[in-house]
Amino acid sequence: MAEDIKAKLENYRTAPFDARFPNQNQTRNCWSNYLDYHRCQKALDAKGADNAPCEWYRRVYKSLCPMSWIQKWDEQRAEGTFPGKI
Amino acid sequence: MLATVRKQLRSHPALIPLFFFIGGGTVMSLMYLARLGLRNPDVCWDRKNNPEPWNKMAPTDQYKFYAVNIDYSKLKKQGPDF
Repeated sequence: MAEDIKAKLENYRTAPFDARFPNQNQTRNCWSNYLDYHRCQKALDAKGADNAPCEWYRRVYKSLCPMSWIQKWDEQRAEGTFPGKI
Repeated sequence: MLATVRKQLRSHPALIPLFFFIGGGTVMSLMYLARLGLRNPDVCWDRKNNPEPWNKMAPTDQYKFYAVNIDYSKLKKQGPDF
């Protein structure tokens, strides 16, 4: 499993097609991957395992999301006002 | 009101297809809106019990009516589990 992720990360070009978000509006895709990255980090850190596999979600949201959204959400997380559930 | 319409239709029977087409169009529009409201995974009705409905879809589920280039049977889940 970890080897697949490493291979996928090395061959990463852009976010792949996600059947959950098939239409033109990819806002949810961006939001979902941002949440998944931080949830994955939190879950794997709590288990004490290596959180390198979470890197996949980070690459995908970096490909999809506008930088201003990422900065805004990072600031909100730092302040504790982030609206999503992590 | 229905009686008036029926009387007028009897003297102008050519208007009957009009009712079929307009009625059919209305029904189709309402059905599409209902499909969007109830089946679309982006729509969340119940935030407490079903907060992220798009996560309930398998990677091979097809929501769109017609898939041009995507072979849905070959898709797999991309990210790692945690």
